[in-house]
Amino acid sequence: MLPRAFRGTARLFSTERLAYPFSSKITTPDPPYESPPESLYHGKGLMEHLHKTLPTPEKQELLATLFSHKHPDRIRPGSVLRVKMEHAPTSFAGVLLAVRRRGVDTSFVLRNIVEGTGVEMQFFANSPHLKEIKVIRDHTGKRGGRSVRRAKLYYLRNSPEKMTAFASGVTD
Amino acid sequence: MSVATLTSTEPRKWTPMSMRTGLIARKRGMIALWDDNGVRFPVTVLQLENCQVTANVKSIRRDGSEYHAVQVAASDRPEKTTTAQMLGHFNRAGVPPKRIVREFAVTSDAHIPVGTTLSAIHFVPGQFVDVIANSIGKGFQGVMKRWHFKGLRASHGVSKAHRSAGSTGAHQDPGRVWPGKKMAGRMGNKRITTQNLTVVRIDTQLDLIFVRGHVPGVDDAQVLIKDATKKMLSLGKAAAEKGLIDKVLPKGVTDLPFPAGTADMAMLYPPIIEALSSRTTSPFIPRE
Repeated sequence: MLPRAFRGTARLFSTERLAYPFSSKITTPDPPYESPPESLYHGKGLMEHLHKTLPTPEKQELLATLFSHKHPDRIRPGSVLRVKMEHAPTSFAGVLLAVRRRGVDTSFVLRNIVEGTGVEMQFFANSPHLKEIKVIRDHTGKRGGRSVRRAKLYYLRNSPEKMTAFASGVTD
Repeated sequence: MSVATLTSTEPRKWTPMSMRTGLIARKRGMIALWDDNGVRFPVTVLQLENCQVTANVKSIRRDGSEYHAVQVAASDRPEKTTTAQMLGHFNRAGVPPKRIVREFAVTSDAHIPVGTTLSAIHFVPGQFVDVIANSIGKGFQGVMKRWHFKGLRASHGVSKAHRSAGSTGAHQDPGRVWPGKKMAGRMGNKRITTQNLTVVRIDTQLDLIFVRGHVPGVDDAQVLIKDATKKMLSLGKAAAEKGLIDKVLPKGVTDLPFPAGTADMAMLYPPIIEALSSRTTSPFIPRE
């Protein structure tokens, strides 16, 4: 049996692989790189590697900018966002209440008052249905926004006056 | 107990009456995936750590029936920490010393040459598997957590017995507590089988198997993965006996690597294979 490092170089190139014969309902995405580092075979750093490489390159860029901890363009709670989706409702706008950073499973919650009823929606950043995220009002005092001193703004659920201050006149 | 010897090396074909070997993997963690319809589902990542065949077992029971099994070992360990007896066993098989050695019952046609390295290609995306591992240990637990007892009232006169079991039996008859009475005790760290999990993705480069749903045990625990008894073996046999060829294997799955998916086989096919959704329609489009 060839040692593992040698096995990688002895592989056929991807164009020479045979068609997979055991199932008809499959896809074959490309691997991130030809020969992964040795530590991944022992599981060291495997989950971090998967969180970084499973999203598509566009989604990876989205996660690295809008959902990072330090990027200047990151979305911050208290800002008002509009999200465009493939499925109904095709567009939803609201105050960003929370960002849940979990790598590939990163999600965020928007809240808005729609026809007198409070509505919250949780969007997963890596979902193929998520088309676009746009910032309508900033989290700071500029552009008609408000600044906050919390990471999670769940107190807005019990405070219609503050909700109005954040998101008055914001419609899908 | 005698070891079966393999004579021929011609390619063997899977039949609905065959039982293949299983694999030993490590549970690495959980992550989320999105299918082609855009539905998010949780998956557990299982990684093979140099899973190799160490023996083929064949024994005859007293009534003349045969028991066949494939012994598989995984997770290399240093020679220094391996006993001399086990070192001899691994030397005979021609494999490095391993941490875990387990046996999987198979049919007589599913034996594998000793020393073969098994790969994630053994399982087909879209098939069902049973995953067996030791559950997370919970320590000494009371009856409410261990057996889902209701406990007693929080107030209205109950004295210091809110989470207790209450009565443990009848009166003079039988005048004792039945053996097996559910009581407080050590909970968890027992062998648990989670059945009928779908294999959604395999990565032969890193030897990863992504199964949909939860798997018992902590991260990095050793787990056994085998073809599902209920949704693969039983249904397949019943459908084959009735002649329903389409229902022998799950939707989309056309064949299974037999007798096993080896590391050599993994080099022939694409490194990452992901199953498409088994749904026919998208759940995001409302039905008429």
